[in-house]
Amino acid sequence: MPKQHLPTSPYCTIGPFFPGELVVGCEDLTHFEEKTARGQHILLTGRILEEGKIAVRDAIVEIWQPDANGVLRDPLDPHFHEIDPRFFGWGRSRSNAEGWYQFRTVLPGPLRADGGVPRCPQANVMVLAIGLVRRLSTTVFFHDVPESVDDPTLNCIADVGGCLRCAIRNLILTVFLRTAST
Amino acid sequence: MSLTASRALPEIEYEPYDDRTQLVQLIKGYPRSFTSNPSQPLIHRPVMLSERTGPSGLARKLTIGEDDLSRTVNGDQRAIGQRIWVAGRVMDQDGSPIPGAVIEIWQANAAGKYVHEMDHFEAPIDPNFTGIGRIVTDAKGCYKFQSIKPGAYPVMASDWWWRPPHIHFSILGPSWMSRFVTQIFFPGEPLNETDLLLNAVPDPEVRQRLIFEMTPTTVGRVNGLGFQRDFVLRGKRRTLALD
Repeated sequence: MPKQHLPTSPYCTIGPFFPGELVVGCEDLTHFEEKTARGQHILLTGRILEEGKIAVRDAIVEIWQPDANGVLRDPLDPHFHEIDPRFFGWGRSRSNAEGWYQFRTVLPGPLRADGGVPRCPQANVMVLAIGLVRRLSTTVFFHDVPESVDDPTLNCIADVGGCLRCAIRNLILTVFLRTAST
Repeated sequence: MSLTASRALPEIEYEPYDDRTQLVQLIKGYPRSFTSNPSQPLIHRPVMLSERTGPSGLARKLTIGEDDLSRTVNGDQRAIGQRIWVAGRVMDQDGSPIPGAVIEIWQANAAGKYVHEMDHFEAPIDPNFTGIGRIVTDAKGCYKFQSIKPGAYPVMASDWWWRPPHIHFSILGPSWMSRFVTQIFFPGEPLNETDLLLNAVPDPEVRQRLIFEMTPTTVGRVNGLGFQRDFVLRGKRRTLALD
């Protein structure tokens, strides 16, 4: 029998009315099932802006990251059995009227295992918003990116530059995602 | 599936979007599609472990609700409107079912009004309807819920655009790459002909994948109209370890 290859369903924008009810409890990754996650707790925050630096409200931002020890909550991670049981690794925030989103999370450790490829500490970030028919996906890196680590994702962003800016001050990380430019 | 097969974990491949299967990203007459979409070319990044994975056990983190949106939780009062059943299957590009996928739903009430502070349409709120739900696919990748048929509503920032009745779906599949969000429309609605989003799919056959199919009607003790829509998320198996 020939192998099926089905086309993916068409994506569409979330529009302006994503319900706040579906965000409740998702902005705080430092606690899971009422227990406190291991590692350095941080505030990951930033703004969603559109062309002309106009704030986008009710945009949905989702993150996915390893725990403080560099393990992802997925059995595909060879170290899955070592996952911090108090850290879930996935979160969601909805931007406010000024475009701000925020997460309480832990500083991720560098991925322990990725087929022998060295990785820097990082978190995946997804943006869903009005007018965006497909989701946007990017990665944030943290302070002290070791120069010796040849991270393939960091390399492809560094090649372009200017699309993503990270700054860390007093352990408050600010990430500006530019969803459009003039 | 045997333990050996599940341990083999055949690698999933993710291909870039095929534009023929998707909406165009810049939609004439819809200004937000121009101001929100990146004007610079996207950077294609490698699919690493962080992209091939996703949180396991999402139902432990997210509250899974009841599969009946047509009444208030713990309430006997039914929402006003045409009662409907919506069902379908979530699968990958090989057609393999995706069990345990979390499906989030939001929709307008029968009058075309959302329970959302930014909805400025003057239509009434229905006290027995939030239009918000979260369910999970079963072992065969199937989902099912009850609701009421949403009404059409005007886009208040426009001077002509009325959205046809539609239901929003957000699906959290097995990986970062399979994350999926869309809107599904009802068959035979006159407003389907002019909707900017539905008609942003250039291929009329592909457009049908954004429209429910109506299932044969039945009459019995509990009566509603049935609608069906399957979803195909990104990802296909490179090789099957065991067949």
